[in-house]
Amino acid sequence: MTDPQFPMTQTELGAEEPIAIPVAESGPRQKLPPGKWLRRNLFNNWYNSLLTIVIGALLLFVAVRAFSFVFITGRWEPVRANLTLFQIGTFPRDEEWRVVAQVLIWTAALGLGVGAAVAGAKFRALQAGVEYVTDPALDRLKRYWALVLLLLVWLFFADTIGPLLLTVASLALAWGGYAAASRVSGPNVGLLWSVVGVLGVLGFQIVSGFFGLGWLWMGLPIAVAVYALLGRPDTDDVKRQRRIQLIGVLVTFAVLFGVYTAVDSVGVEWDDWEGLQLNLLAAAIAIALSFPLGLLLALARRSSFPALRVMATTYIEIIRGVPLISLLLMAQFFIGFFLNTDTPLSLFTRAIAAMTLFTAAYVAEIVRGGLQAVPKGQMEAGNSIGLPAWKVTQLIVLPQALRAVIPAMVGQFISLFKDTSLLLIIGKLELLGVREIVHGQPDFRGFGIAESLVYVAFVFWAISFTMSRESQRLERKLGVGER
Amino acid sequence: MTQTTIEPPPEVDPNESVVWYRNVRVLRVVGQVVAVATVVGLIAWLFNNLLTNLDRQNINTDFGFLDRPTNFEISFDQGFDPRSPVWQMVLVGLKNTFLAGIVGIVIASIVGLIVGISRLSSNWLVARAATLYVETFRNIPPLVIIIFFGFAIFTFGPFPLLSEATQINFLGTDDNLLILSNTIWGIPGFVAEDNVGVFWITFGVAVLAAIGVAIWRTQLSDRTGVHHHRVRWALGTFLVIAIIGHFLAGGAWSMSWPVVSENGRRIDGGFIMNFGFIATALALGLYTASHIAEIIRGSILAVPKGQSEAANAIALTGFQRYRYIILPQALRIALPPTINQYLNLVKNTSLGIAVSYAEITLLTKTSIGNGRPAPQSIAILMGVYLVFSLVISLLLNAYNRRIQLVER
Amino acid sequence: MTDNVQGNGAEVFSDATQVAGTGEVMIELTAVDKFFGDFQALANINMRVGKQEVVVVIGPSGSGKSTMIRCINRLEEHDAGRIVVDGTELSDDIRNIQEVRRETGMVFQQFNLFPHLTVMDNITLGPRQVRNLPKKEAEDLAMDLLTKVKIPEQARKFPGQLSGGQQQRVAIARSLAMNPKVMLFDEPTSALDPEMIKEVLDTMKELAESGMTMIVVTHEMGFAREVADRVVFMADGEIVEVGTPQHFFESPTEDRTKLFLSQIL
Repeated sequence: MTDPQFPMTQTELGAEEPIAIPVAESGPRQKLPPGKWLRRNLFNNWYNSLLTIVIGALLLFVAVRAFSFVFITGRWEPVRANLTLFQIGTFPRDEEWRVVAQVLIWTAALGLGVGAAVAGAKFRALQAGVEYVTDPALDRLKRYWALVLLLLVWLFFADTIGPLLLTVASLALAWGGYAAASRVSGPNVGLLWSVVGVLGVLGFQIVSGFFGLGWLWMGLPIAVAVYALLGRPDTDDVKRQRRIQLIGVLVTFAVLFGVYTAVDSVGVEWDDWEGLQLNLLAAAIAIALSFPLGLLLALARRSSFPALRVMATTYIEIIRGVPLISLLLMAQFFIGFFLNTDTPLSLFTRAIAAMTLFTAAYVAEIVRGGLQAVPKGQMEAGNSIGLPAWKVTQLIVLPQALRAVIPAMVGQFISLFKDTSLLLIIGKLELLGVREIVHGQPDFRGFGIAESLVYVAFVFWAISFTMSRESQRLERKLGVGER
Repeated sequence: MTQTTIEPPPEVDPNESVVWYRNVRVLRVVGQVVAVATVVGLIAWLFNNLLTNLDRQNINTDFGFLDRPTNFEISFDQGFDPRSPVWQMVLVGLKNTFLAGIVGIVIASIVGLIVGISRLSSNWLVARAATLYVETFRNIPPLVIIIFFGFAIFTFGPFPLLSEATQINFLGTDDNLLILSNTIWGIPGFVAEDNVGVFWITFGVAVLAAIGVAIWRTQLSDRTGVHHHRVRWALGTFLVIAIIGHFLAGGAWSMSWPVVSENGRRIDGGFIMNFGFIATALALGLYTASHIAEIIRGSILAVPKGQSEAANAIALTGFQRYRYIILPQALRIALPPTINQYLNLVKNTSLGIAVSYAEITLLTKTSIGNGRPAPQSIAILMGVYLVFSLVISLLLNAYNRRIQLVER
Repeated sequence: MTDNVQGNGAEVFSDATQVAGTGEVMIELTAVDKFFGDFQALANINMRVGKQEVVVVIGPSGSGKSTMIRCINRLEEHDAGRIVVDGTELSDDIRNIQEVRRETGMVFQQFNLFPHLTVMDNITLGPRQVRNLPKKEAEDLAMDLLTKVKIPEQARKFPGQLSGGQQQRVAIARSLAMNPKVMLFDEPTSALDPEMIKEVLDTMKELAESGMTMIVVTHEMGFAREVADRVVFMADGEIVEVGTPQHFFESPTEDRTKLFLSQIL
């Protein structure tokens, strides 16, 4: 069965698939004089004229109502008075500096990451002898208008100087990171990604603390960098080289383990992460954890071992057949019972577990679509040059399959981000849950209900909309679904 | 150039001497056995933990609770007796889940089709309005939309309290066509009288007769070439016999008009919808419509351009082109993903929990809160959704196979 | 086993189990059968290929030509009979399978270059991953090979930027980078535009002249006539006739061969 939800399953990524080289998007658009334009696009026959008038009137009415709601009748006090609550919930207020540090670190990482992607694309274009075209800065800003609007709304609601300073600082960091990273020369882009990874983990641990298994997460990006740095292209003895690299990686982890054991500083409990921060974080953690699981499931489902296929298919179909809520209820009531732990798991951990198990099934189907799009000849070519099966998968199949599924994965992330609103139902104070707290305050009981909901909807909308636009852009860039 | 003839190699089985750990056949079996053993072991370990922990907490692991009384009332459902067993509660939840699901599907299909076609309209304003619709609804979590309808529009919205409900009368009579309040709405409904049994018998007869007529028309058409019109004929036959049956039974159904009760707390008679139902069905309908619109749009674009050109070549009008050439092909492409969306919609009715709509998830959660064992309750909940999803997937797979056969 | 094959051995090379070249046997297929479900794709194939010999396999589509050479490097698993490549038997031993794959290069009809890697990385992948060659050395080797196939200037491009003929020459270079003892060609020119066929055939010709052992499945009769030491004609999963190009094109003995040649020449 071809799954029409995933367009790449129907697309042949043939051997002639060109590598993604960014090109300017806007095609030639012809300009018509206004009168002619109106006649052609709005009043070209009687029923279109009628439609134009009816729809126009309707839109005008909606626009007027929306305008008066937003600027005149709307009572935004519940939102304005609780902006911090909406952002971070009841996060301990004397630890707020951690959140500020997190925002700064992550925006810097984001800037570096985008810059690294651009540097990589530039390098590939240079190698291939193709001109690399960047979009004009204005176009790039337009792409993020929804996020800009969201930022402006936040700044408008904020009554202190703090948020403004934070916004300016993080924008500056993001821009600086981007500017610096996009100038990095090709071969060093890999290291740049390691830096992005380190900053990502650091931003997380600045809040959660540097303890426990933290060394493992921090070790991953550093180890990748160490492995790459120890590699010499002109070595005589490849096996000895690999031994050195392996020792370097082990030393890295050992050092980090030592450091984390010595520091052992616990930050803020996960159950205290609330508000919009929780929505973003839960979605990011769940998608990151579900990716390896989904990848394994997809490989198992495409495996030549019937037993693996049956098990993977069973898991995927069961999970896809039930709503996320049922898994979250499981998390709320008894998922902890499956483990033999003395200390009960935090509700956050249990919810993340449920969301990860749920998302893994969908990620598996996305990755399977990508795997199906890799022609069989690719594997045969890999086999014929003597690569063992796992290396064919790792070096030939996966790089092609995963590149093809990036847009669908962004789509899955959006869907997961929207689904984090369900955490409300098991009693976590995410964005929507904070709203209920706000209306529990004596000042705002039964008042400004529509306004707070519109605010919450707008926050979700601005973030999802921007990401979905980005994923469409990526899809066009990667040429998926067009041929 | 030289030529040599070489003796054939001795007849031995080359695989006899292969060491087992390098034998691909052995490795295949070993690999699968190890994988299965790992997974089975993991599951066994998890369930062993679960049973131990449940035992420690003194929670039963049997399904005996299904026969014991529910012990709580279902809001807006006066017909439900709290003393009835839990399995009856499950059935009520199931009924409400599907009710919201079906109404949502109808809304999503109609709105989705209109918006999807509008996205491709040559009228700039119509296309833009449709895009606005899609981009708005698609990027807001359905739960937020449901809560918006449930609280911002109903509970705390512009609708009056039930005691002062807006009542719209039927053409000058005193009968209420519509009662609007902020908690429940009433519309006229049908009530079965005592002799409804006779009606159901004639109803069965009507269905059989309709099928018979449809077969007869098909055969007639095959024989003589007359257009069969079998749907019209079958529907007509069915209606005629069913209506005759209704009167033969001496009026098996009677109209029931909704009336606000004197204390202003309920609506008596008619068909009653509570705000949870309306919010869930409407919100999910509008949300899913944005996805269906994208599917419709994609499917129309997927119909090859040559089809349009061919339609123009035989001088069809724009409408005819859509009605007879483009839409039939597009809808066939759109059907499988649309049914996936329907499935999602039915699963999403579980979000009705946020507006106290008594569908199966809310009832399961309430029931767990009332001391029923969570693992079994949630297992039943998942089982219900799972059976439904799997049945639909099987039908869909069968359909896809048929379509693929036709296309080859 | 030899008596299973038609022909009486009196005619020169009429028996597929005889070899030309240096006289050493490189590839040996004995009574090989292959089924796809109920369909018998190969029926009792007996063939030997000598070191430095060039064998061209022709036949109508569906005759089992491709299946036969795909069995030689285990892209398909044969169901009965024996296949020995340079003394290594293709059995269930995973080490033997890898060994044979390392020693045979294969060129596909659809090129099957890795689209996500540059031409250079396509060629160095095998040497670096399988033969553990250092990066520098592998790249020098790749440049040598690219020079040999006459496209050294394309090293940093991606396959999608090259013409079909260039892609196929990269594919040949990629196979040669593994330093194979045998090269298998599965209709290497069938997916090419006419004007690009020659450049690929020229490359193959040079390879044959350098003494490579080659089995070539092709419809290019000119190539067969000019380069082949022997021509094997297959139909319905069987080897129908074997001979020198001269014998084959001037005085074929079997009816099926005559019919086939009359249809294509």
